[in-house]
Amino acid sequence: MSAATHAPEATGTRTDAETAGAVPALACAGLSKRYGDVVAVDDVGFSVAPGQAYGLLGPNGAGKTTTISMLVGLVRPDTGTVRVGGTDLAADPITAKARIGYVPQEIALYPELTGRENLRFFGRLYGLPRRELTGRIAEVLGLVGLADRADAKLGTYSGGMKRRINIGAALLHRPEVLILDEPTVGVDPHSRKAILDGVERLVADGMALLYTSHYMEEIERVCDRAAIIDHGRIIADGTHQELISLVGAADTVELVLDGEVDAAFARLRAVEGVIEAVRTGPSSVRLIAEGGRYLLPALITAVEGGATVTATQVVEPDLEATFLHLTGSSLRD
Amino acid sequence: MTPSPPSSPASSPVPPRGRPRPVLALVAANLRRLSRDRVGLFFMVIMPFVSIVFIGMALGGGTSGSSRLPLGVVAAGTDPVSAAVVDELERRPDLTVTRMGGEAELRSGVREGSLAAGVVVTPGSSRVRLIMTQMNGSGMAARSAVDAAVNRVAAVLEATRAATAAGASPTRAAELVRRAQAESGRVAVTATTAATGDPRGFAYTAPANLLLFTFINSMAVASALVESRRIGILQRALTAPVRRRSVLLGEVLTRFLVAAAQAALIIVISAVAFGVTWGDPAAVAAVVAAFSLVATGAAVLVGALLRSPDQAPAIGPPIGVVLGMLGGCLWPRESSGAIINAAGHLFPHAWGMDALLALERPGAGVAAVLPQLAVLTGMAVLVLGGALVVFGRTTRAAS
Repeated sequence: MSAATHAPEATGTRTDAETAGAVPALACAGLSKRYGDVVAVDDVGFSVAPGQAYGLLGPNGAGKTTTISMLVGLVRPDTGTVRVGGTDLAADPITAKARIGYVPQEIALYPELTGRENLRFFGRLYGLPRRELTGRIAEVLGLVGLADRADAKLGTYSGGMKRRINIGAALLHRPEVLILDEPTVGVDPHSRKAILDGVERLVADGMALLYTSHYMEEIERVCDRAAIIDHGRIIADGTHQELISLVGAADTVELVLDGEVDAAFARLRAVEGVIEAVRTGPSSVRLIAEGGRYLLPALITAVEGGATVTATQVVEPDLEATFLHLTGSSLRD
Repeated sequence: MTPSPPSSPASSPVPPRGRPRPVLALVAANLRRLSRDRVGLFFMVIMPFVSIVFIGMALGGGTSGSSRLPLGVVAAGTDPVSAAVVDELERRPDLTVTRMGGEAELRSGVREGSLAAGVVVTPGSSRVRLIMTQMNGSGMAARSAVDAAVNRVAAVLEATRAATAAGASPTRAAELVRRAQAESGRVAVTATTAATGDPRGFAYTAPANLLLFTFINSMAVASALVESRRIGILQRALTAPVRRRSVLLGEVLTRFLVAAAQAALIIVISAVAFGVTWGDPAAVAAVVAAFSLVATGAAVLVGALLRSPDQAPAIGPPIGVVLGMLGGCLWPRESSGAIINAAGHLFPHAWGMDALLALERPGAGVAAVLPQLAVLTGMAVLVLGGALVVFGRTTRAAS
């Protein structure tokens, strides 16, 4: 559908924009926000080109939502600028916001109204011309695959269906930038796949995307670039390969232990070559280690006496490993 | 998401954009939500009329003039004075006179409530005995009607005596008095309707319940506003290309329309079904609009301060009922003390009652209620202004 707005000729423009460094769809620089003594966001900046999918990774409380709130004009930054398609958000918020489709993390829809009525609300809010409204709503309902349930009350929808209407509401006005904050939280696998497929298609059609998620595999699948944010600062930024190479030759080693897990965990941390260690469950441990597969015998020996290793798995470097390496915490803890 | 429809290369890269319509969007969505709120609608559409009917009947049913009070009369004699009293009573437009066989029958009729009051006319006596139960609105109304009738007879007797004393023959005196009576009959209308005190029956309970329910229901259905805040839809609306004040206006206008619709419904139904005469439409509209604005302020305050939508229907009625009690919306103000009535004037209900009851009197226009209108408008500015400040702050803080 957004293909209608970002028609084939736009593809050429996009390539130009990327290569020539022309107007990015979304750019921010030097964004900071503090609440009292707490620095929520500190000097955050990045830019997303048209047709590019950019991921924002970070543990809870890292400043992702505050950053997004500043990008969509809900929170005024203490310092820094936000430009949407070249328009300064602070100087001309109406023009800038009209280019953004924002999907909040919560289901911000009226439960008493039907899916179609909710979309009508957002269509009016974004100023879709009266004549187009009905047709455009039907189009978006088709896009999110809910045409047959459009006239049921939202309260009767499954979590995944609500998520899809939640996203559809941000697409009605054909935004140039789509901002998705954790769009797949609490959805069934079927809806999750439908959402990711749809998002990929929108990006392929030329929409710029900013995507935050706890699910590393979603970021790996959907986004070309990602930034890792922790304690309000961007600590790494790049393509997958660039980010993964930050970990060097380190592997992820998953261990399942039996016995005195706490003591064993402390000993594992101390093993030479182990860079990071994190508890992932009552009896499971994840380690980042240089040459992990060669280190296995040393690890098994280290826990002997108090505990035994009952299962092991060595994973080649990936984004999750990078994240763990850089932030020292698991994404899903 | 299903496969997207094939894109049309012919469409322009920049979509045509219309004007954002945030106020329309919010009002339309909120009214549609209200139309699905069955409990809210029951309290808005059914309850006010149940209350008007029941309290109206308890206060001696009917508006003045549209229904008559049943009055029992025992008059054994056929002397001219007795006949004149009975004749006057029967001519009263607000009484239905029933001749009773004896005083015992009359008393039991009054006791059972089938008669508003009873009158015993003793032949040859200048006294008329009135029989009524205490503390009964219709009895009080019947009493004032009987008083008026008896006073007229007394006036005739007095005039006849005066004419006779001045030297006229009894026939000549009767003629003079008849002529004078016809004269006074013409002015009698204004003389009797210029009664002081509040009206009775539906004429009192209709405006009382208008104020009571407009205020209570405005606060109760503001649960929808709490819900909008809680689910984050107002936050999300602020990320659209709209101004903050448009979003606030959309919510405030919704609350005002709900209050005004509640008031209009009560006015129309009570006028059509119960014959309530509200008075000058423009003046009534001004008073109701000012009061609805106060109710709007209360509703927005509820919407801004509460955390859970369930709290609104729990908090609205108690506050509304207490203010209604003080303002005379639950029972006639005549039965409240001066202190309660004075305290009531700290709140909008008492001023609304003053204004609406004043407008029910024939000939009263906006000029008659300017002070009340000014006070209500001032209250609306204070409450709504304060509510907007709080509401603006809470929608910002949640972001």
